[in-house]
Amino acid sequence: MRPLEGVRIADLTWLLAGAGGPRLLASLGAEVIRIEWRDRLDFLRYMPPFAPQKNENAAKAGALELSGLSQEGLKSVNRAGYFNDINAGKKGVSLNMAHPKGRELFKRLVAVSDVVVEAFTAETMRKWGLGYETLKAIKSDIIYIQQPGWGYKGPYVKFASYGPIAQAVSGLTEQSGLPAPYPPAGWGFSYMDWSGAYYCAITMLCAIYHKKRTGKGQYIDCSQVEPGIYMTGTAVLDHLVNGRHSQRTGNRSPAKLVAPHGAYHCAGNDRWIAIAVTTAEEWAALVREMGNPTWAQHEQFATLAARGQNQDELDRLIGAWTTDKEPFALQARLQKAGVPAGVCQTAQDRVERDPQLQHLKWLIPLSHSEIGTWPVKDVPFHFTNATVNQGGPTERAAPCYGEDNDYVYDELLKLTKQERTELEKEGII
Amino acid sequence: MTGFLFDVKVLELADEKGEFCGKLLAGAGAEVLKVEPPGGNSTRSLGPFYRDEAHPDRSLYFWHYNFGKRGVTLDIHTPEGTAILKQLIAQSDVLLDSLPLDTLEKLGLDWSALQQLNPRLIYVVLTPFGRSGPWRDYKATDLVHLALGGQMMCCGYNPTEDGTYDTPPIAPQMWHAYHITGNQAFIATVGALIGRETTGAGEMIDVPIHQAVSVCTEIDVPYWIYNQTPCYRQTGRHAQPAIGPEVQFSTQDDRYSIVLPNPFPGGYETLVGFLEEKGQAGDLTGEKYQDANNRKGMAFAHHFSEVQAGCVAAFGMEEIWRDAQSRGIPWSPIRLPEENLHDEQWRMRATFTEVEHPELGERFSYIGAPMLPNAVSWREGPRAPLVGEHNEDLYCGQLAMSREDVAKLKARGIV
Repeated sequence: MRPLEGVRIADLTWLLAGAGGPRLLASLGAEVIRIEWRDRLDFLRYMPPFAPQKNENAAKAGALELSGLSQEGLKSVNRAGYFNDINAGKKGVSLNMAHPKGRELFKRLVAVSDVVVEAFTAETMRKWGLGYETLKAIKSDIIYIQQPGWGYKGPYVKFASYGPIAQAVSGLTEQSGLPAPYPPAGWGFSYMDWSGAYYCAITMLCAIYHKKRTGKGQYIDCSQVEPGIYMTGTAVLDHLVNGRHSQRTGNRSPAKLVAPHGAYHCAGNDRWIAIAVTTAEEWAALVREMGNPTWAQHEQFATLAARGQNQDELDRLIGAWTTDKEPFALQARLQKAGVPAGVCQTAQDRVERDPQLQHLKWLIPLSHSEIGTWPVKDVPFHFTNATVNQGGPTERAAPCYGEDNDYVYDELLKLTKQERTELEKEGII
Repeated sequence: MTGFLFDVKVLELADEKGEFCGKLLAGAGAEVLKVEPPGGNSTRSLGPFYRDEAHPDRSLYFWHYNFGKRGVTLDIHTPEGTAILKQLIAQSDVLLDSLPLDTLEKLGLDWSALQQLNPRLIYVVLTPFGRSGPWRDYKATDLVHLALGGQMMCCGYNPTEDGTYDTPPIAPQMWHAYHITGNQAFIATVGALIGRETTGAGEMIDVPIHQAVSVCTEIDVPYWIYNQTPCYRQTGRHAQPAIGPEVQFSTQDDRYSIVLPNPFPGGYETLVGFLEEKGQAGDLTGEKYQDANNRKGMAFAHHFSEVQAGCVAAFGMEEIWRDAQSRGIPWSPIRLPEENLHDEQWRMRATFTEVEHPELGERFSYIGAPMLPNAVSWREGPRAPLVGEHNEDLYCGQLAMSREDVAKLKARGIV
């Protein structure tokens, strides 16, 4: 049993901030029908990395099971690895929404769906005559989630937002990095695309639960920027209450006194280990592991408060100790001694080496109709009873473009052969 | 109006790892009862504090992350405390647990015991590394999680010219390992609540923070899986296989802004037109760059970026970005969190909400909802509970204990 069995989602999103939301609901068992059209394909279908054409790279990926790689050309829109991950568990149809007949067909899909979710620019659906009132007239308990970047209501309705934009305006970028005069380091990925996806999923799930309990659908205006603001509450309060402006503190702990608290250089090219010491026991263990150096006995490092006052010197001394240590051996040794420590892991470390992630089966092999079976990131929640995983009801990775047209148009919407042929000829499907 | 989860009762036994998930559940309309040890939760010692006064009721961290919950104190490690905890579990829909591993098991409350107490219970456990596996008992903090999860190796500053780094990887501030996990745990919880509508049965869900964090990066993992290609961190932009052009520039008022390439057709022309209008297009409008063949490759990308830097440097951070955005150019100021308080966009959406602090005789702007529902409301209060604020409501009201018995428990340090 999958928790969302029987829930159908018409998915008009794209990229990660949009498409990641329905992805999460697919893992919980919802039937997600991703709607695409060839004239405005998701950029992620064009974005590297691509599945290689030959099996030559398969061997390199170690323990992961890779098989069935197709020989087809890289120019196909079905070979992008990131798209494959972000759309795992979904069905896919091609449908030209810009054409009136395409929109009529979409309305038939709405009539048999529970949720319509889209991430178009704000006015698109209304211009197409597909606003909430229309959708509701087609299906009275429809849930409609609209996710333009800055929200539908407000003067910035037409503004563009991508992950880095949402991070920048919300305050998350400014809070990441070494203290001035260094500039913000920001985020090395679109954290707010993931957050956008989480809140898209959160919003849909909340509305589905509410509908289960009340029978009522609803419309929700879900922006990508507000979830970023939502995470900055402590800093906003600090400003309002204490008049303080937040400042970057590098890797130090601004809210809770923890010292040492940083990333320390290790042996190897760009290898670092994070160490965070709060309690007296942890400090004693770290000092023991360092071989009880004389400096560690000095008064300036005797208590947490004292270490907090002398962090520059503390970091220098610990860094001098870690710099020739192999990072993973050091992590194992410090953890064994009871010191919170972890290597700054690369993707390679996580994919090939991390025994805990392997134990948790964080990547699962899912098949894709064109590129074969590849590892896809599973959802990080482990249900005891229900079946929950990123294969979802399709039990496969992302759909190829238009892969499920037969299912959706023939089985679900029951188009006659003639209707379908005509729609295909007219460039609607 | 009520909330999405208007009939859901949540029992929260959580530290900083799980409080964000509880905050979201409360925000979505659930009734969240937070059980803290007598004297208050450890998270009440997290700063900053109201007027910098370290006091369990004055932690601004605690205010933000426990907004909208009710709070009681109970020593669950005493026989009487365990008995009361069992009563509360029997009356809850969701038990949210981020206590140290095995805490409830040691009290005799493993999953089968919990099911006997309440067959409909959704039991959500946030664990640092999972309930089994070689790193099960590893110790972690937010920083250690962001290191192991891969965020840090994506975030930081450009390498030096010889390709080596003279700055460490960076962990963004603000407890993001727990934000990420809280969001995922919330998704799992509400998913399970929906499933329960069909099965009528409870569920136990383990949410390992290490796994939640590890799946929350972008292209670094696909690049490794598909091409065995590493990505390198670089200032203010995505970790990529190669060092790309800058997108973060300093402004005339010594702040920063970000300008992203517009990926749609005509995006380049729109941006150049905008730069020209501001008198900052440099040589981009010259003959050379009219020819699209001269606008290819990394050298041009860096040159284009330098021209944009010149434009950003000629204006204040808040001066021209709305103008740019109204033309479809993805441009944003790099704000401090508090600079959103007075932005018209958030005012119109009521993103910030006024919250009363009767114990201080003051009110403050809190961040209200992360989205804008129309048929239900996101919770607007009350402020986080004071230590044991709802003890009397719970013990004498809901559990119908006598004042005398509660006084005895209090005297013995159990409540």
